[in-house]
Order: sequence, then structure tokens, then C-alpha cells
Amino acid sequence: MMERGYWIKSKPIYTSLVWHEKATSHLVVAQGQGGLAAIKLFQQMHPQQPVTTLYEHSDIDANFAITLKKVVPEDLHLLKSEQEVVSLLKRIMPTKRMGLRIYVAGSEGFIWAVAEAVKEFGIEDADIMKELTGTLARSIYCVHCKAITHNITTNIGKCSSCERMLFVRDHFSRHLGAYMGLMVDAESPGQLPEIEEIYP
Amino acid sequence: MASTFKKETFREDYTYSNSAEAIKRFPFPFPEDQYMYSVNIEPHVKGKVGSVCEFTFDVDEHYVAECLDKKITLEQDPGRYQALPHMMDAQWDFLELTMESLSQDYPQHFSLNKNGSVWTWENKPLGIKDTFTFGDSSTLAMEPFDYMGRQVQGDFVLLDHREETLFADAGIVTSQADWSLAFNVGMSWREWHGPVPRATELGVMDRALKHLLNLQFGSPVRRLNWTMTINPRLDTSPENYPQWGGDRNAVNADNVSDLVHLRVELQTLFRLPRSNAIMFSIRCYLINLKDLSTYSRWAKRLHRVQKTMHPDLIEYKGMTKFHPLVVDWLAKFDDGAALDVGTHAE
Amino acid sequence: MSMINAIVAAVEQVTPLVKHFTFVKEDGSKLPPFSGGSHVVVSMDIGGRVHRNPYSLMGSPEATDAYHISVRKQENSRGGSVFMHEHVTVGMPIKITYPVNLFSLAKKGHKHILIAGGIGITPFMSQIADLNRLGADYEMHYAFRSPEHGAFVEQLKKSCSSRLHCYIDSQGEQLDFKALLGDQPLGTHVYVCGPSSMVTVVLETARNLGWPERHIHNEQFLSPPVGEPFNIQLAKSNIEIQVPADMSMLEAIEAAGVEADYLCRGGVCGRCELQVLETDGAILHNDHFLTDSEKVSCKKIMPCVSRANGKRLLLDL
Repeated sequence: MMERGYWIKSKPIYTSLVWHEKATSHLVVAQGQGGLAAIKLFQQMHPQQPVTTLYEHSDIDANFAITLKKVVPEDLHLLKSEQEVVSLLKRIMPTKRMGLRIYVAGSEGFIWAVAEAVKEFGIEDADIMKELTGTLARSIYCVHCKAITHNITTNIGKCSSCERMLFVRDHFSRHLGAYMGLMVDAESPGQLPEIEEIYP
Repeated sequence: MASTFKKETFREDYTYSNSAEAIKRFPFPFPEDQYMYSVNIEPHVKGKVGSVCEFTFDVDEHYVAECLDKKITLEQDPGRYQALPHMMDAQWDFLELTMESLSQDYPQHFSLNKNGSVWTWENKPLGIKDTFTFGDSSTLAMEPFDYMGRQVQGDFVLLDHREETLFADAGIVTSQADWSLAFNVGMSWREWHGPVPRATELGVMDRALKHLLNLQFGSPVRRLNWTMTINPRLDTSPENYPQWGGDRNAVNADNVSDLVHLRVELQTLFRLPRSNAIMFSIRCYLINLKDLSTYSRWAKRLHRVQKTMHPDLIEYKGMTKFHPLVVDWLAKFDDGAALDVGTHAE
Repeated sequence: MSMINAIVAAVEQVTPLVKHFTFVKEDGSKLPPFSGGSHVVVSMDIGGRVHRNPYSLMGSPEATDAYHISVRKQENSRGGSVFMHEHVTVGMPIKITYPVNLFSLAKKGHKHILIAGGIGITPFMSQIADLNRLGADYEMHYAFRSPEHGAFVEQLKKSCSSRLHCYIDSQGEQLDFKALLGDQPLGTHVYVCGPSSMVTVVLETARNLGWPERHIHNEQFLSPPVGEPFNIQLAKSNIEIQVPADMSMLEAIEAAGVEADYLCRGGVCGRCELQVLETDGAILHNDHFLTDSEKVSCKKIMPCVSRANGKRLLLDL
């Protein structure tokens, strides 16, 4: 239902990171493959205002961390998990002033976790520059049981909570950080369209 | 306006029905033989006596049963009510508008007494009587929008006006045509209307937004929208799609006129004074094809509209499976004679 | 457009140049509630010609027994403010529109910096009432020429107490915009109303410091500028109208008996926008509503403040 004729105005906009010229300070938050986006950012002309950088990575992306340590002149924080990123953000945000510019690079799930973490400080997601890196995997909100299932790479995914097979609509909710998932075989139980990987 | 309220259901055994009077006042939405998605906004001024636009809010024979159905839906899924914290002024605006309109338009059913900021509200059909302090949420059993949203037929969305657009920052939604408040809450006008096919392409939504941003207090507007629903079911939410989606398979040539309902939404929009928010009300009217064909003019017109519908719209409205049966059933009413423009029954 | 029939209940000279007017409803009932930052458009019949000027509502949005506006006398204006000062007296009937808000508070803001210059204080009076009621964090920065021109300072001291900061030009006090806006907590919004030079400085300062556009608010009603007379043609009404030097297009259209939409009459809201079907001259866009590309395209015009200099300007009206 409603697969056809769907426009995608609600889909978020992702770009490549570039420094804002006008700012009082900058905050760069990256994860995994997003480390490369952060490195590219630091290769651009360095801003005059102070920069704080948070990078979360696993062993696979250790090379990005080594490079970042070389190119980031000061205030670089290397972290091991999304939780560490979020709790550090909650500590440093209260000290920041208007004119802070925020740049995020990573998976879609990471980008929206950061957006959620800074929301309480009066930052709207539109004020955050976002670069999607690595995977196109989506987080899916099951409209039936309200659970969110992460890392869905196919057109149809199984809800991790109620186990319904969900069709992934191109309709994105910023406050949930997820696309809408709707039971695909409600009208004809058990009859599933072909499952394809479309968000590698 | 009905003086008695029917006992009926909008789920399971579906005892909902329309009286002859209700059929006659049904807000038929097609003035012409062809349907085009358009903004078709007009001032929400007093309509003819007995019509659904006679008063600010229409209270009809289904009032008590609809409020009960709403209560069941909210109990099963509290997520159908959402209000972001900055919408509290708009909540009180909503309470004031609904209480003042209902008590003025239907004094036999509702009364409002104000003693300074201490108000006493009585709703006789639902057996409610409460005294509270206007502006003080702690004096009501629930938030003011939730409280009155349960006492008026239809769905309500409160739109915050900022950044040259409107944000759906509060809602009480239990009779929606397949959209999810829990998912959409907080969305801007453009994000919210992302799913309407062909409309954005035509710039219709941008024009409608421009119009609404200039909506003035004291000058509400209205429009009609429509779809089709199997069974007289108010709660055709995506949340409960597994419960009602399969109903579409049950339609056949013998039962099409009983099962398929034309679902018309009377949408009204009001600027709210204290909050500068906009109240969007979506009131749903249901009629099965059999009752609708009481007036052959309507049956003829509906046949022509459905026969010429764009497939994208048929799909968007979820009618693909049973649409040919609807057209076939209506065909027998259509003698091909020309119909004058207008939605009147006779 | 629906209007409210009001009566002038009080007139008070507040400063040498500012008068304060109190309106009540003709039938004695309450006026509609409104939100902080709202304005009404006041209709004045000046020698058989109708002037309509927008003025901010100053009272508390809670107290709707009366509406309050203040008018600064503009000596070189087209007469609206002079009329209000010299001819409007207690007991006079006056027509006003329902309140409209084009300068509303950002309800999600964590802190609000209000900056007023001179008579630009008026929209903040009702906003302060809302901010106090909501218990919001704010600062009121008010700059004026000299002590005798500081309208409503005593009232503001009571309502804002330590949140009020005054800057008196004649005493050499200057507001340092960069210092003020350069050190505000996240989630702060800035609002400015005053002379256009002040508005420009505040907008530029905030933008240069990297404030997001959504956090910057201003209200700047324009008076319709005086210009050369020109002619317009209305396609639907099929008439030609001359727009005199001291009349706006919108006023000329209304004077000719043609009904046209409007809200703010100050080039802000966009309600009176008209489609230009043909033109042989330049359009003198004076509004804050159309985008630069729309202005260049010459397909739209805001008749409340804009003018033209050709012989032919065919409008879709």
C-alpha cells in the first residue's frame, strides 16, 4: 500500500562537510568511516575559531584516528562507543555559546543519535551539517509495535520486537531518527514481495 | 442537529448507520464530474440550517458513539495523543474555542460558566461536569487539549507557526485516513505532506501553506477531502493496519454497496489567539454506497469521478483492490445525462 | 476583511513625540485575546481618504477589556501619525482589524534577547507580558535618544526589573551589539524592532557571529513611500487607476472601490501580493516579502508599499 507515487520530501538532506565561515566556535562529531569526512574537513582552510572534535571508532578505523591525531591541532577526543559520544556531548554542550557550528559524519543512526543528544540544548537538526558515510543502512520504526530496528539494508525488514515483516517507506521522522515501517503482508498474510538489498 | 444520539459501533460488529436525515446532510464532496486534487479552501462561515457547516463544530447523531470509539482507541494506544511542551498556550486556546462554540451552538447539551478564571463545563450527553481554573493544567484531570479533544468528534492537530512554516506539534488523532501522529509529530508542513502524490508537483501544498500562514483569528477556513474505507471504521490508522487492511479482500460484487464507504473529511482551520498557533480539525463522515445512492444525482456523479480517477491517486488512497467493483456497481445509476455543477443531493 | 468597531477610551501624551491610545469595543464587550508581538491595522478617514496604518498592541494579552497602541508623530509622513496625534480624541469611533502576529516569540527558545530602538519598544510590551507569564529567561535592551524620549521606562522597570537595560544616546551610552550577541547561551533568540539602521546592524552582527537564521527575528513595518504618480490597469475589474504621489497602490485600488486583500500594509506579510500581467517600466519594489529573484522577474508586486514608473502596469485583479 502506498508504495507508488511516494515523494520523499521528508527525507533528510546529507551533504559533504565544509566549515562555516561565520561562527564563534565549531564542533565536529564523527564515527567510523566518518573519520575520513572529518580528515577532509581539516584539510580545508582551518577556521579561526576554536574547534572541538569527537571521534568514535573501532579497531577497523584506527588509521583514521591516527591521521586525525596528526591533523587536529587541539581538543580532540577519541571515544569507543556511541554512549561515550553522547555523554561527552552532554558535558560540553552547556559551556558552548550561540554561534557554535556543528558538523556530524557517520552512519544515519549515529547522525540522528547526535542530533537527539544536542536537541535539549536548543539545537535544531537543520542547524547541523551532516555527512552520511559508510553504510546506507536505515533505522526502521515499526508503526504497529513502536519498536525501532537498526541497520536494515533491504526493502523489507523484520521488526526486532513484534517480528512483523515491514515495508520501508521513504518517510523519515526526525524526532524518531527512523523511517516508517509498515506491515507488508497485512492484506495477504505470508505473501512477501522479493526481498532485495537496496540500502547497502 | 440530532436531539438523540445513536448507540452504535465503529469496529467489530459495525452497527454504525446513517438515518435518512444524516444521509440528506452528508457532505458530498464532488461538485464536478472530474476530481482534481486542489486546495479548494473557502471561509468557514455559517452554512444552511441543518447542514454540517451550520455551526463551528458539527455535533450529529453519532456524537456519543464516536466519542466512545475515540476513548477505546486512546486506551489501546495512548500515542494517539501527543503534545510537545511549547504547545501549552495552544492547548488552552483549543479548550476555549471548543467550549465556547459548543455551549453557544448547542445550549441544550453543553454549558460553560465563567467566574473569572474559574470555569465550570458541563457536557450532558457524555455526563461530564468539571470546574477548573483556566490556564492551570493541574486543575484538570488531563491536559486541556486531551480533555476537550475527547469531547468533540473528529481529529485535531495543533500547528505551531514559526520559521515561515507550520509544525504539527500536538495532536489527538483517532479517526485518521492512514497517517500516524506518533510518527509525524513535530514535522514541518513540507515533511508532513511528503507522501501526497502529485500534489507537491503541482505546487498545491506550497500555495496552501502561504494561504494558511496568513490565516487570521476570527476568519476560519474549511475544505473537504475524501477517500474510501471498507466498513464504517473510524480508526483506519497505520498502527492498526494489520487489523483492517485485510478487509479490502472481502469486497465482492454482492457486498460492495454495503462494505465500501465514502469517507469525507470536513477539514477546518482556525487561527488561535494566545498562541498564534493554527488548529486543524479533521472531521470524518462515513456513508456506504447503498445509502449514498438514495440520491441518484450523487451516485451518477460519484460514478463519473471514479471512472476518470488517475491510477496514482487510486493507489495513494488504497483503493486499487476494490475500485473496479465500485465503478461497476455505480454504473447502473449513470444514464449519461449532464449534471449541473454543485454538490447538492437533489 | 472583518473589522472591530472600537471607541477611543483614552489618549495620553507619553513623550514629546509619542502618544498612547486606549481602545475599547463599541458594544462594551471584551476584545479578542492575542499573542505577544501582535499588531492591528487602524483605519482613519482623513479628508475623505482612508488611511490604514499598522500599530503594535502594547497591553498584556491577558487583559482584553482594552487594546493599547502608541504612535510616534512622524512629521514628514503621509499624515497617518499626524492625524492620530492631532485629530483622534476620546470618544471617537475607530475601526481596527483583528490582531495579527508577524513578530511572535519563538516558543522553543531557551532565552530571548529583545532589542528596541525608540518607538520600536511597542511590540515588546506585550511580548514581555507573555515572557513573564511563561517564566521565560529574557533580557530587554532599550536604546533611546534622551531621557525625555524614553517612553514607558518606568512601566518597563516594574515589569522587567533587572532584565531591563537602557541605553541613553544623549548620555553617551551605546549598546555594544557584538559583545551582547557574542556571548549568549545556546538556544537564544534575538528580536529587534527600531530604526532600520539598528535593525540592519543587529541582523548583520548576529549573522556574522554564526547565529542560525531561525534565531533572528525582526519587525520593520514600512510606511508606503511617497513617489511619482503613475497609472495602473486592473485586468479583471477592467479599469484604469491613477496612483497619486502620496498614495500607495493599495490605497488607490481601494479608493477606486476595488476590493483587495491585505493584512499588514507594511510590506511584510505577503497577503496583498498581486500578479503583474504586463508592464513597460520598472517596478520599484519596497517590500521585505518577495525574494530578490521574484523582484527581478517583475511578475509580482506588493501594492501596499511598492510603486512603478512606467505608463502601463496591468495587474491580475
